[in-house]
Amino acid sequence: MEILTKKYWWLGLVFIGALALPLVVGEFWVHVAIEILILGLFAVSFNMIFGNMGQLSFGHAAYYGVGAYATGLLLVRASVPLPICLAASMVAAGICALILGYFCVRLTGIYFAILTLAFGQLLYYIIFQWYSFTGGDDGLQGIIPPGALFSATYYYYFALFVVTGALIAMWYVNESPFGYTMRAIRENADRTRFIGINVRRYMLINFVVAGMFAGLAGGLWGPFNRSIAPDLCNWHQSGIPVFMTVIGGPLGFFGPMIGSIIYTFLMAFVTGFTEYWPLTIGLVIMFVVLFMPGGVLGLVEQKMKVFRSRDLEARGDRSAETERS
Amino acid sequence: MDVSLLVAQCMSGLSRGMMLFLIASGLSLIFGVMNILNFAHASLWLVGAYFCYSFWYLMQNHGFGMWVSIPLAALVLAAIGWVIEVVLIRRVYERELPEQLLLTYAMVLILGDLIKLTWGVEDKIIVRPTLVEGPVFFFGIPFDSYFIFVISVGFFVAIGLWWFLQKTKYGHIVRAAVFSREMVSALGIPIPRIYTGVFVLGIFIAGLAGAVQAPVGSITLGMDMAIVVQAFCVVVIGGFGSLLGTLVGSIIVGEVYAFSILFWAKGALVLIFIVTAVILIVRPWGLFGTPMRM
Amino acid sequence: MSGEVILNVENLNKAFGGLQATDNVSYEMMTGELSAIIGPNGAGKSTFFNLITGYHAVDSGKVFFKDRDITNWPPYKITRLGIARAFQVSNIYPRLTTYENVRQATLAQQRRTLNFFTPANRLAKKETMELLEITGLSQQANMISGNLSQGDKKRLELAIALGSKPELVFLDEPTAGMSGEETQETMELVKRLNREIGLTILFTEHDMSVVFGYARRLTVLHQGAIIAEGTPEEVRDNEEAQRVYLGEEA
Repeated sequence: MEILTKKYWWLGLVFIGALALPLVVGEFWVHVAIEILILGLFAVSFNMIFGNMGQLSFGHAAYYGVGAYATGLLLVRASVPLPICLAASMVAAGICALILGYFCVRLTGIYFAILTLAFGQLLYYIIFQWYSFTGGDDGLQGIIPPGALFSATYYYYFALFVVTGALIAMWYVNESPFGYTMRAIRENADRTRFIGINVRRYMLINFVVAGMFAGLAGGLWGPFNRSIAPDLCNWHQSGIPVFMTVIGGPLGFFGPMIGSIIYTFLMAFVTGFTEYWPLTIGLVIMFVVLFMPGGVLGLVEQKMKVFRSRDLEARGDRSAETERS
Repeated sequence: MDVSLLVAQCMSGLSRGMMLFLIASGLSLIFGVMNILNFAHASLWLVGAYFCYSFWYLMQNHGFGMWVSIPLAALVLAAIGWVIEVVLIRRVYERELPEQLLLTYAMVLILGDLIKLTWGVEDKIIVRPTLVEGPVFFFGIPFDSYFIFVISVGFFVAIGLWWFLQKTKYGHIVRAAVFSREMVSALGIPIPRIYTGVFVLGIFIAGLAGAVQAPVGSITLGMDMAIVVQAFCVVVIGGFGSLLGTLVGSIIVGEVYAFSILFWAKGALVLIFIVTAVILIVRPWGLFGTPMRM
Repeated sequence: MSGEVILNVENLNKAFGGLQATDNVSYEMMTGELSAIIGPNGAGKSTFFNLITGYHAVDSGKVFFKDRDITNWPPYKITRLGIARAFQVSNIYPRLTTYENVRQATLAQQRRTLNFFTPANRLAKKETMELLEITGLSQQANMISGNLSQGDKKRLELAIALGSKPELVFLDEPTAGMSGEETQETMELVKRLNREIGLTILFTEHDMSVVFGYARRLTVLHQGAIIAEGTPEEVRDNEEAQRVYLGEEA
């Protein structure tokens, strides 16, 4: 819990920095920042299932894509105000997560991973070939953010506002009894059954909430990118939040966001001078998996533990081992 | 419905199924024994195809070029598989599922770009020797004669694997390891060596599959992406670690694909994924897999 | 001790492969009992608990809790009804602190686990600390539970089980791994809970001094079947029970 109070103050700084960003950097980097926010939200929602519940979903992009299409279609075909589109995205994604999640939560481990992958692909192919409704592999073009949001700077502030709000909501969920229960399920699902909790139902609820926030992220993406395609649902898109979470560290709430900053920044940087981005990120992932299993946060934790125990030793305190990690 | 059309689709499905079998059998074997889902399996398959092309290119002026390139490519892939196993896969034996999956996923990305760097972006085409160039006629229906070759290779690999697993001492050890790693290592047989052997075998077959695929149409970047998910479906439907399951699964997927072309052209993959999802829901260990895997 | 039947097990059977783990067991408990089930290793004590608490499906037979048929109910439903258990091998949350372990049970019992927005750290403080105090774990509240001693882990097991505010609790070797002093503390607590709040308790133990010191009724299991039942003295004098125990305890 000490980490919490430590985090509060630097979060404030980060937020002020984020507000000041467009005043300091050019439009290109504002675009990058919007991407960091949207994909970061996507990744944090993924981590509700991965870090918090302990299951690897390789099909989270299904809900991201559904959210993107919900907002895209409503905006382009019916000129619905953007906030309502986003709400609709969350609902649509939530419904999908409810239907698909019902089956997914009956499995765990590799079977859960493969079923989520299969469902993600299924949704991809459905969108791909439902040409009349979704535009198929032509995708949906001309998704223009309404009014003042047309400018990158204003859209950035809009996204910052929405994503911050979503993160705060997810933070509360994380710290709530529900959040603790999900971690209990991750740690020892059996025991959790024996204290009176219907584990499967809780897993489904968590899956739906995570799906809803992924849908919100997808909804923000369409107007930003001006167009969307069925690719948003496939397993490559699903891999992105996984990468981000692993790089940043799955056991901390902000891990995926840190991962998003690193990933997106790196991608913007690398694609500037080479087309071999997959090679780059592949090597980064391999490095993190082999040598930094807790991600950036894990590394920081380790250093802090060493620092703290050295500090306590220096003060002659023997209870360094019982210190809360 | 025209009978000859049905038969043609059947054969097409069988050929496709056999191709999938060649890819999926290695995948299934590796997962069955080592519990590692090798996302990069199709990427290595593609590398096999490219190597086959390169060898053929070097031997273009000789008629037997293609026939030699195929086994050569497979052997090169076996060597690559050995290096990957020793350098990378070994480090994640004891790790959790997400880390293993991510490692093989990273390999997909790396291999994709390495292929691009080595062979460039243009499609590669192998000119087939006249023996397998033209059509062959069964009951007056023309079939691509190369199909026959593919089906035969698939058949021989299936028989070969069956013989290996059922009739040789090493095969018995491998089958035992699918059921219980602890037992096998308690018997004094070093597990890492079994793992290496199995992985190399799996990649050898993948390389062979790629090399066999190479002369069909052209070799393009990104072919591995299209095929890897289908290979997963095959293994899920048939059951991990089961040779018969992989064979049956491959043929099912191949035929579903071939026949759905007739009445729902774009829906082939939707159908396959629905079947896969249903199997995962109703019987996660597949048609022929062992329930213990749960 | 009130005269109501709280648990009624009828002709319970369970086989694993060829092994009959539970062999036509019928058992009854009255509210407020403090009883024990003993038997050599493999006699089927844990299986018996598993069948009643929904961990395994029964092959045949019925389980009634306060006249309600709970046979084959899922564990979470059974716990909510008022039955809790402490496991033989500590089944805790090793990466959470002792406090968080117990609080998880308390929050679940208070039906607050679907609360999405109140920080959990503000809730259930009193109840959780109370449980930690009576099980003697207040000092270790902020310790990562995986680092607790064996005996403390068993006490945590008990605290978690009590967190569900059960009417009936199964304790599977509650004093395993404990020192003499800890054993006495734990069993005195068990006795107090039984007397003061009328908690019905069924425990298994290998330590015969504990069994004879605290159980008012004893049942002996052997190869899945009950072979003796009665007060501890009656059972001690029972020939078959002696044979089963002396034979095994060579």
